[in-house]
Amino acid sequence: MSGFDYHRPESLEDAFRLKSEQPDARFIAGGTDVMVRIREGRLRPPALISLSRVQELSGIRHGDEIQIGAMTRVAELLRDEELGRSAPVLALAARTLGGMQIRNLATVGGNLCNASPCADTAPPLLVLDARVVVRSPGSERELPLADFFVAPGETRIGEGEIVSELRFRRPHMRTRATFFKKSRVRMDIAIASLAVRVDMDGKRCVAARLAAGSVAPRPMRLPRAEALLEGRDITAELLDELGTVAAAEVQPMTDVRSTEAYRRHVIGVFARRALAQLSGLEEAR
Amino acid sequence: MTSELRFEVNGEPVQVEVKAGARLIDVLRNALGLLGTKEGCGNGECGACTVLFDGRPVNACLVPAMEAEGAKVTTVEGLVGPGGALGPVQRAFVEKGGIQCGFCSPGMVMATEALLRDRPDPSDAEIRSALVGNLCRCTGYVQIVESVQLAAKLRSENGGSRG
Repeated sequence: MSGFDYHRPESLEDAFRLKSEQPDARFIAGGTDVMVRIREGRLRPPALISLSRVQELSGIRHGDEIQIGAMTRVAELLRDEELGRSAPVLALAARTLGGMQIRNLATVGGNLCNASPCADTAPPLLVLDARVVVRSPGSERELPLADFFVAPGETRIGEGEIVSELRFRRPHMRTRATFFKKSRVRMDIAIASLAVRVDMDGKRCVAARLAAGSVAPRPMRLPRAEALLEGRDITAELLDELGTVAAAEVQPMTDVRSTEAYRRHVIGVFARRALAQLSGLEEAR
Repeated sequence: MTSELRFEVNGEPVQVEVKAGARLIDVLRNALGLLGTKEGCGNGECGACTVLFDGRPVNACLVPAMEAEGAKVTTVEGLVGPGGALGPVQRAFVEKGGIQCGFCSPGMVMATEALLRDRPDPSDAEIRSALVGNLCRCTGYVQIVESVQLAAKLRSENGGSRG
């Protein structure tokens, strides 16, 4: 590798200024993706603008609203005890993302902006109804994470915009959530993954969210599966129906890692298993 | 485009001229001659380049060198005790045969060091989980897990010191 500038601005203002001076420069977060692409010659930026020292992008803030800075390392999702109490589903997913060497580098914002269908932090953040805060010089906008992903590698953020943080309401006491991932070996990219969140009132499901990874061109919510659950008592029959609906609703393809049919099967099993666990019903086998 | 980079390696301050596009592993191996850290895949898959960066294990092949400015980096050379004696983790890998061709060993040793600093007495499941980012194509991992178990024992006998 050779021949480019490397900048480490300490504020968003400086990051935007550098980007306006060198429009072809590339922002770099944890580097676990960008560095590989540069090494393989798939990316040849004239300059890199590192976001690692930008104050506004770091830290996890707790309150009625939980705010996760975009430069939060994935390992930090595991280490933050308060987050482990308020939204443990994030840690369940974070612990499956690569090995510890990757988790100490990779960032939440980078994982999302990379917009891979298999991004491990996406399904849990989707079921938490996370919103993405996007900054550009002099302005800030917010959009639901559910609207953020467009296609593999493609998001709704524009050139020169920076994702600054993820926000979601602190989950209610009645909220329970879990995350399952199927991969060849533990640190590997997901064959299929599923996050499920339910708000229960006794046996009745008051609200439901399901979000899946690696089964569509982008991380996706499963609105039909959610609608099936909301307002219903959770029974063994409903679990079976949920599995069928979820398996039908995803849009997987066959590729080097797995087949369409197997991915549908895994999502169906995960959906049944997740709801059995979250509702307190034993898995109906 | 070169820049001056100042950071700390194995407790010693260093100052090197680096190309802005260099990676941490390039600086360690080429500029500083620390050849213990290996480059395997170059993609963050194999863990052969594992070093401690401000105390935490990372893939040195994925870290832009410029990110090391002001950081404290520990390589496998930094685990060696006074007079060149191997540290407890290194001794454990030798004694248990957690090593064959040796290419993955520095990364395995550094990942083990990181694990044991956090969890001085890890379970087998914790050991296997901590090493998922380190690939070995020779030994089949059984001896490596045994090496980590022994390393934990040796370290505790040493009062947890690295010497």
